[in-house]
Amino acid sequence: MYQWLDERFDISRLQRKFLRKAFPVHHSFFLGEIALFAFVVLVLTGIFLTFNYEPSTRVIRAPDGRDLQAAYLSILFIDSLPFGAVLRSMHHWSAHIMVAAAFLHLLRILLSGAYKKPRELNWLIGLGLLGLSIVTAFTGYALPYDNYAVTATRIGYGIAQSIPWIGSAVASIMFGGEFPGSDRVIPRLYSIHVLWLPLLLIATIGLHLLIMIKQKHTQPRYAEKVAPGKVMGVPAMPQQAVMMGVLFLVYLAITAFVAGAFLAHPIEAFGPLSVKTPDVKPDWYFLWIYGLLKIIPSSWQFEIFGGKFGPEFWGGVVVPGMLGVVAALLPFVDTRKNKLRYVELPSQHPLRTSITVGLLMFFIMATLAGYKGDPGLDWLTTPLLWTLILVVPTVTTAVSYVLMKSLYSERSEGESAAPSPGPGY
Amino acid sequence: MSDHANHDHDPETPEAHASRRAILQAAIGAGVGATLLSTLYIGAGLIPKKEVTPETEPLAKGDILVYGDGPKKGQPVNPANLGLGEQQTVAYPMNPKTRVVKDKEANNTVLLLKLDPASLDAETAKSAAEGVVAYSAVCKHLGCIVSNWDKAAQILVCPCHQGRYDPKQSAKVVGGPPPKPVPQLPIKIEGGQILAAAGFLAKPGKEV
Repeated sequence: MYQWLDERFDISRLQRKFLRKAFPVHHSFFLGEIALFAFVVLVLTGIFLTFNYEPSTRVIRAPDGRDLQAAYLSILFIDSLPFGAVLRSMHHWSAHIMVAAAFLHLLRILLSGAYKKPRELNWLIGLGLLGLSIVTAFTGYALPYDNYAVTATRIGYGIAQSIPWIGSAVASIMFGGEFPGSDRVIPRLYSIHVLWLPLLLIATIGLHLLIMIKQKHTQPRYAEKVAPGKVMGVPAMPQQAVMMGVLFLVYLAITAFVAGAFLAHPIEAFGPLSVKTPDVKPDWYFLWIYGLLKIIPSSWQFEIFGGKFGPEFWGGVVVPGMLGVVAALLPFVDTRKNKLRYVELPSQHPLRTSITVGLLMFFIMATLAGYKGDPGLDWLTTPLLWTLILVVPTVTTAVSYVLMKSLYSERSEGESAAPSPGPGY
Repeated sequence: MSDHANHDHDPETPEAHASRRAILQAAIGAGVGATLLSTLYIGAGLIPKKEVTPETEPLAKGDILVYGDGPKKGQPVNPANLGLGEQQTVAYPMNPKTRVVKDKEANNTVLLLKLDPASLDAETAKSAAEGVVAYSAVCKHLGCIVSNWDKAAQILVCPCHQGRYDPKQSAKVVGGPPPKPVPQLPIKIEGGQILAAAGFLAKPGKEV
């Protein structure tokens, strides 16, 4: 069989060129892989969901006599299928895991300096992938059309509308008119969520991996001592493949258990769309934006040539957009001439590391603002939250910088002097 | 044969080459431009036109306010059933002639409250009737339905971002991010029903 195929496709060449490629092993190198596994599970469970989901908001009579939207009713049907609720829950949890793993993967790349030349393009593609996964998760949120999901999505609709000049058009195209209300909104979000964004994700993930294979993975620190100048690692086939397979099975086992034990998004409890607004919180990766929207005062607005720059625009578009632009420019600012082959230790780059830690504190403080106004949290006032958001990240950055400088300065001089002297970022 | 062809119009002379390239570039440019323009025209079709049906007509003077949800959904609100200082009731206008409830237009959503008439300020009292006040229920911030009620403080609360409105003072914003008060709806009470005495005092719906 192998010979028959080899004579026709020259598999041996593929084997020599790609399947024996050495991949370095380090526990922090598996984060991107976990995001990939989450994506695979999302596609598989998503296929199951599309087989039974009805993308329509037309009201139909349910078997129990209630008049319900077709989309909501079809989710109730999915939940009634054998393991239907578990598969839907697994889809939901995997979306969380994909965003979380992609974010941690980004932190690993950032803290180990792996975005530097020659990997600038793959850093940009990776940022795009994180953005795409978040947008994909958002477009899927309203599909069950329960009261909770619709209310949470309405906030996103408002943010899209807040873009000066083009906001209304952008929101109308994405949501098919007014949201909620338009009959076209679910077909449109459905098409974006199950077809276009996944296709884009598959293509971008493929490109991300191809570039990584072409440029070779960064080497862990120990490789520099063991075999300086050589590519260390285990062959893609069979060792790396076995590790990936085992990790994938572990992923499946854990998510299947979590999905079954903690059923996500119980639409029967949330109920169909009604005029009563439930107390909603967006998913955790949107909480920081949601928090910013709560504390930005309404007076932050002005108009230029009919374009309105309002609070939702600042909190929902400008702040995340600025972070994205800074991240995209990073490899072009933090440059150096020699190629980066080994990962950098975070402790040897106190400025970069302490700013990253400060940024994480900013996310945490803005997330805290998302809890403003909750029962029992009256002490979370707007002035206090502004102080926390401005002061805590600054202090954290300064303290961690000073700590790292004093703790690691001697070591860093001793170690990085050898093959690749980098600037003290 | 080839000699003859090359004599007058040698296609390989630099001038001929340059003009041929310019023509091709212009042709490609025009083609791409025309394609983009026609795509924009198709793309404009993605923005749905708003169609006005009897159910999406804006609220008008004389409309009867009916329950927006709950067991009595679609039935006229009886002001006697509103509890003094209790949580607001969400309602929609109903065309008194056709009896069509205009609940497909979000900006028609109204909230009703019964408050102590003496506690209302002069401006609010003008549009109230027997202590019943009506406001647009669509939050000015991001368009959520203002459906929570801080009973202790007698303040309307939007569940989305904790925007707070004081119903006794023309829904003045007393907390949170909303840029403006929700507009009041002047009402009158006739035969145990609540009627819109005019349209909303300002444009309802979120600020865009």
